[in-house]
Amino acid sequence: MSTKPLLEGRQVSKYFGGLAAVNKVDFAVYPGEIVGLVGPNGSGKTTLFDCLSRVQQIDEGEVFLNGENITTSKPHQVAHLGLARTFQVIRVYRKMTVLENMLISRQWRGEGIFSLLKPSAKATEDRARYLIDFLLLGPLIDEQAGNLSGGQRRLLEIGMALMPDPDILLLDEATSGINPTLIETIKDRIVTLNKDEGKTFLLVEHNINFISDLCSRVYVLNYGEKLAEGTPDEIKANNEVIEAYFGAEGE
Amino acid sequence: MALLRKRVEKFAQGWFAFALWILFIIALYVFPYSGFITEKNELMGTLQTLSQLFVLITLASNWNLIGGMTGYVDFGHAVFFGIGAYVLGVLVTTSGGALWFAPALPFWVALPFAGLAAALFALLIGMPTLRLRGPYFSIAMLGVFVAMREIIRVWKPLTGGGAGLTLPPQNALFGFPQDWFRMGEYLVMVGLMGIAVGLSWWIRRSEFGQTLLAIREDEVGAEMRGINTTYHKIAIFMVASFLTGLVGAFWAWQNTFIDPDVVFFETRTIEMVMMSMLGGLGTVWGPPLGATVLYFLQDLIWANMGDVHLLVLGTSMILLVLFLPEGILGSLSDRSGTSFGGLFSSSKRTEREAAPQEKSVIEKSSGGV
Repeated sequence: MSTKPLLEGRQVSKYFGGLAAVNKVDFAVYPGEIVGLVGPNGSGKTTLFDCLSRVQQIDEGEVFLNGENITTSKPHQVAHLGLARTFQVIRVYRKMTVLENMLISRQWRGEGIFSLLKPSAKATEDRARYLIDFLLLGPLIDEQAGNLSGGQRRLLEIGMALMPDPDILLLDEATSGINPTLIETIKDRIVTLNKDEGKTFLLVEHNINFISDLCSRVYVLNYGEKLAEGTPDEIKANNEVIEAYFGAEGE
Repeated sequence: MALLRKRVEKFAQGWFAFALWILFIIALYVFPYSGFITEKNELMGTLQTLSQLFVLITLASNWNLIGGMTGYVDFGHAVFFGIGAYVLGVLVTTSGGALWFAPALPFWVALPFAGLAAALFALLIGMPTLRLRGPYFSIAMLGVFVAMREIIRVWKPLTGGGAGLTLPPQNALFGFPQDWFRMGEYLVMVGLMGIAVGLSWWIRRSEFGQTLLAIREDEVGAEMRGINTTYHKIAIFMVASFLTGLVGAFWAWQNTFIDPDVVFFETRTIEMVMMSMLGGLGTVWGPPLGATVLYFLQDLIWANMGDVHLLVLGTSMILLVLFLPEGILGSLSDRSGTSFGGLFSSSKRTEREAAPQEKSVIEKSSGGV
């Protein structure tokens, strides 16, 4: 594990009116890690994700990506710095085909207006086709994204996040509403990307087995605050965490 | 069906379609000399009719860049038409001599300034309004449009106020004799239309066009995937406004008279929207097709139904939105999304019902808490 965090949050807070959706959360993700972010519904996981990817304003605290302060950056700037994410509610361009969805998600860093006036480059298309096959979407390449099943759209969204070759991927509930076979596929792909390409992952997940199989470290949020952090086994044995998830009678 | 759609799109964005367009433009240039219409007054009448149609086609095509491709339904786009018209009017007449220090410019010199002024205004007004989404943007632009009309009305020294400006008669273009004066107007408008629709074709097949479609489909997603959406939106808004400003300037020149009410005319915006929708929002060839159909339809209804022609037109627009919301070209393949088409495509329907994620959920502004 490298000593310098790839993505680091210091005292990150986000308020909705009087409600602290995320309250002074400290965390760090190091290069090459797969880190989990768990917590009961409404614990602030997605809000934290939105803050990190700058889809939402951060009210207090600071976020660093690759050592750069991104606390006030725009989402596209964060993307250019090597962060990609998926959304809990899947965001694909429904009226475009699978291939078009992938092409339009390519690396946009440092583009002048004139390069935009051409059709997609060959290299971009090659990478898109490679990723489409990698995510088992090959037969659907010319299908409109709106016609795909929920699971296929999840895979497509992960593919779109991979197009710019990011350093870190934030996956928001990559397994929700997905059948077990496809979950295995996603798991397998995450491991391959992590091992072979050295991609770093931060996963929001309700599926505890998924988290324990993949993650080396887990953060637990509850009511917007960091409740615990540790290895999956430590987390599973933590009484506070069990209480937060199941209530006192859950023991 | 998906295959048909794919083929239609591939053709529409291909070089062959563009070559056909160029050929069409050349044919339009040759047309007055072809001897197809020999009687001169009849020829001049036809050229005038065609020029009017080409104005509509160009406006529809320009509006489609921001309203169709980018999904920002601009209910005030005629403001750029008006700015183009007035900038040309002022520069050509020096406000009826009120601008004593400025030389009266010829049409050709004033024309680019009209476009640039419209584009500059689009930049200024786009920065705040393009932050708004959906109906808020539409209403904001409608407000801009109405406000600008009133500004022009009260800014009498420059614009002539409600009395308007009278432009010099247009007869000198290309050195055509006075009884051929429609020729110059026709040739200019064919050129403008050729450029506007050609540019639309180019943008649609470029990555720039793809980013616009991405913004239309899901702006938050596009931004998160590295597209600077603000920059793209303002860029296309300026392009569309530049061209619309040119058309406005042309219109002012050929009409030889402008006042706030004829230039800032609500129906003009409504027409741009209707023509684009009729042909197919976001497609290259839809708006020109829609403009052509609507132009002749309007003429036909007006000629045959007189007083009630607006009623008939309004009703047909309601029917259009109900049955062909994606327009003529957009509906070539998949009609299951329309209430009418849904009746006939039960298979698609069950598929949609089975899909868990529906559009309303997808379009929420962020991923949820």
